[in-house]
Amino acid sequence: MAELVRIRDLAVKFHTYEGVVEALDGVNLTINKGETLGLVGETGSGKTVTGLAILRLIMPPGRIEQGSILFAMDDDGYVDLLKLTEADMRSIRGSQIAMIFQEPGAALNPVFSIGEQLTEGILLHRRQEVVNLAIETIDKLLKNTSDLKGHLLRPLRLFKRSLYKSIREKPNRLLPRLIGRIPGVRIVLNGLQEEAENIAVSMLREVEIPDANRIMKQFPHELSGGMKQRVVIAMALSCCSKLLIADEPTTSLDVTIQVQIIELLKKLKKEFQSSLLYITHNLGVAAELCDRVAVMYAGNICEVASVLDIFKNPLHPYTKALMLAVPKPGEEPHAIGGFVPDALSLPSGCRFHPRCQQAMDVCKQTNPQLIEIASGHLIACHLFKGEQGASSR
Amino acid sequence: MTGFAFIWYNLKKSPLSIVGIVIVFIFAMVAIFAPLIAPTPEGHYNPYMIPRAGYSPTPEPPNAEHIFGTTQGQYDILYGVIWGTRTAFQIGISVIGAVLIIGITLGSIAGYFGGIIDEILMRITDIFLAFPALILAMAITIALGPSLTTIMLALIIVSWPSYARLVRGDILSIREEDFIQAARGAGSSNFRIIIRHVLPNSIYPVLIVASLDIGAVVLSAAALSFLGLGVPEGYADWGQMISFSRNWIVGTANNAFAYWYTVVIPGVFIFLFVLGWNLLGDAFRDILDPRLSRR
Amino acid sequence: MALEANIAMDFSTYLIRRLLLLIPVLIGVSILIFAILQFFSPVERAMLFVHSPQQFGRIDEIIEQYGLDDPIWKQYLTWITQIFHGNFGWSQVVGMPTLKAIGTFLPATVELAIFATPLIVLGGIYLGTKAAAHKDSFIDHITRVVAIVGWSLPTFWLGLMLLMVFYGFFSGLFPPERLSTAMNAVVHSAEFTRYTGVNFLDGILNWQWNVTFDALRHLVLPVLTLTVVMIAFIMRLMRSSMLETLGKGYVLTARAKGLPENIVINKHARRNAMIPVLTIAGYLFASIVNGVVITESIFNYKGLGWWAWRAAVTLDIPSILAFALFSGTLFVLTNLVVDLLYARFDPRVRLGASA
Repeated sequence: MAELVRIRDLAVKFHTYEGVVEALDGVNLTINKGETLGLVGETGSGKTVTGLAILRLIMPPGRIEQGSILFAMDDDGYVDLLKLTEADMRSIRGSQIAMIFQEPGAALNPVFSIGEQLTEGILLHRRQEVVNLAIETIDKLLKNTSDLKGHLLRPLRLFKRSLYKSIREKPNRLLPRLIGRIPGVRIVLNGLQEEAENIAVSMLREVEIPDANRIMKQFPHELSGGMKQRVVIAMALSCCSKLLIADEPTTSLDVTIQVQIIELLKKLKKEFQSSLLYITHNLGVAAELCDRVAVMYAGNICEVASVLDIFKNPLHPYTKALMLAVPKPGEEPHAIGGFVPDALSLPSGCRFHPRCQQAMDVCKQTNPQLIEIASGHLIACHLFKGEQGASSR
Repeated sequence: MTGFAFIWYNLKKSPLSIVGIVIVFIFAMVAIFAPLIAPTPEGHYNPYMIPRAGYSPTPEPPNAEHIFGTTQGQYDILYGVIWGTRTAFQIGISVIGAVLIIGITLGSIAGYFGGIIDEILMRITDIFLAFPALILAMAITIALGPSLTTIMLALIIVSWPSYARLVRGDILSIREEDFIQAARGAGSSNFRIIIRHVLPNSIYPVLIVASLDIGAVVLSAAALSFLGLGVPEGYADWGQMISFSRNWIVGTANNAFAYWYTVVIPGVFIFLFVLGWNLLGDAFRDILDPRLSRR
Repeated sequence: MALEANIAMDFSTYLIRRLLLLIPVLIGVSILIFAILQFFSPVERAMLFVHSPQQFGRIDEIIEQYGLDDPIWKQYLTWITQIFHGNFGWSQVVGMPTLKAIGTFLPATVELAIFATPLIVLGGIYLGTKAAAHKDSFIDHITRVVAIVGWSLPTFWLGLMLLMVFYGFFSGLFPPERLSTAMNAVVHSAEFTRYTGVNFLDGILNWQWNVTFDALRHLVLPVLTLTVVMIAFIMRLMRSSMLETLGKGYVLTARAKGLPENIVINKHARRNAMIPVLTIAGYLFASIVNGVVITESIFNYKGLGWWAWRAAVTLDIPSILAFALFSGTLFVLTNLVVDLLYARFDPRVRLGASA
């Protein structure tokens, strides 16, 4: 099947002191393998919450109340992410699904160097690979024992090799883990660290960071915003190739840097063949980058279509209003009348009806379901009935 | 949520804050109604000196005449702890009040004007802070002669530097905020800016620390009195009374707790008083700190 | 290569600069002390220059000799020169020069501090972290209650109560003072070499285990008294600092990377949360000094704090002033160490940026 992620009826509520906020109210979304899906909406529409929900990173007082998130595993089966144990979910985070956030400065830990933060993930998720590489390196060193240093270090290297081999066989053995804890002794594991660093450096080069070796030793506050975001992307992609969730990654950057990051993402997407869920409020960026676009409003998906269809033929009143609201040179901007609804007291029925020019009576009473009215074009609006009995897809 | 409702909601969420308010309120009542609860005997000229029922050095356990018993030298414990409440409030409020005024004034001047003035203040506070507080207080009390006023003066001298620095730090961070520049641009005088814009925004952390500190000040004063460096002997002060109990804590040969009342009762009063203020200070912080209270 | 050399030089220049800064602060402290001194009569002030019992009899000559009736600035200069000659005065209360008194009583306080400080610092950090990580759980509530109760307890009262229970009621289980009479005799006997003055260590070095055991037994209550109040403070601070850190973006990122929870908390969050705790280290040190004075006086534990207390109560000014100078120096050095640690922990802090 071509689907990577299938979200059904996802509902997330925040139980705050002022009341219950229904951040997501029955969200249905599909992400296909290898595609870039744009999730577009205003602030407060619930797009970030959707991204966090996929990774099950919703913290109290938020709670995923209902729904299912089916994720394609390697063996062609699907698992419901919401039903996994925390331990299983953790093994998916960072390795199968990764997320990059809006503020790169906030995402990087200020007290650790870039290299440390990169290798941390690599050692966690690509341990086998790292161990194998380390063993290879040691084997090569052992073969070239012509000089004095080689002879002196031989016993140490042999010990390291057997240690690494035992890690390869049984990854969770106690002895290596103990060794890793003791400050002086853990230098023995530096072979692993070096290989991980090599991988990290190559990732930094992938994201087009100049002078990667030097950057490895630097700290987050020494980098510019654009560099930091590249590092964050490198961190996410260093271990993960299936789904990358990007939450407004360019919003806090200069426009010129924005363009670079977007080009970078395009290139990486092709290379790694991963799916990308690109969350943004910027329609222009969505047009640049995405294959399909989903429009969100107040916790509901309004319309989903290919990027061409969405821009050429928007059907939902909200989508149409969004397109009109983009300022064009020489024209007056058309703002959407009214305000985004207060999260605590959402309008009844269709969430958009108070601001909709074409609102009907039924819009006040029932919230429209997401239905497919044309191939690949879904919409949730009472104006469009679609084929009778068509199920939402 | 409006202001009041918000405060009430926060208080309800943490019962400890309510406990704190209740405790402090009870103590305040005790202090106010001290003459009614423990009336001063006729002819006793200074109500703050505990009346003695004789001169025997051995403490008497609680009985009908002395509800909490008497301590060494036959000082009535009930009288001592009740009037000691007044002493505690006196010390706490005077010291913190004075320290706030001094600290805020000096701190805001240093913080707002910066430059040399700031440097000088920082060095001066450095010097004061380098001195261990208790020793400085001890030195001052000895130099000036032990008495209630001396303790208060010593504690004021010892405590003001931290407040000045705290206020200075807050002001430094507020100073560069845009709305201050805006006020300056509109032509407000420096003084006006400080009073109307800078202070109201930086005062909350200081107030929180102050309310937490009332307890600490009372503890320090009690410690000084306990060490014999504070109020004269027989004064109604909790620390003083505990110092009386030093010789009696091991009790008699058969009963180690024979004289428990001499040490436990005044101690419980100190503990509850300080606890009440600490809880109150915590409550203030939870309410006044916008970041923490929005959940 | 050149870059690294530059950084190294920055560090040593920074160190030298900080140590040089010590001098003005100490001068300031000495001026402060001297100002207080002026409240005492000439006789009392003459005690500063007396360093043997014989001199004590000739106090009038001393007043004359050191010009204690002279104008203040002249007196200050005289006093300073005396200090530079190593004459810090005579401690009447223990009958020896104050410098010697410091040397005599320091090991006892060190012994106390060796046990109390790690308990306070490590215990406080650990418990504070645990409480924040399991917010609103049973452990969190217990920790908070213990913390606030501990912080409200008067140190001296706690000490007295502990004595009442463990010394009175449990007949001498954990006694006051440093050693029992018997062990004291052993320690001062000819066969026993006092290498360090720290009793439990000396006991081990002399292979006299009953001395060590006795010393430890006597340490239990003072250490407990000192620790309870201080640990409460650190716990609360650590907890609130951790709570703030746990809301930061990099913690969410760490979780999104799939790191196990204990690594998220202990590695990523805690390092950052400790920074504010480091800031109050200076204040903490001052509190410990206060606590030491009270604790040692209650348990008659003959260390520096006890000496300071006896000096204060008997109006022994030279001792008080020597103690004050000593702890003042210690305080400044502690601040220096803290600032260095700060620079190590937080790469954003450049050495030399003033607080």
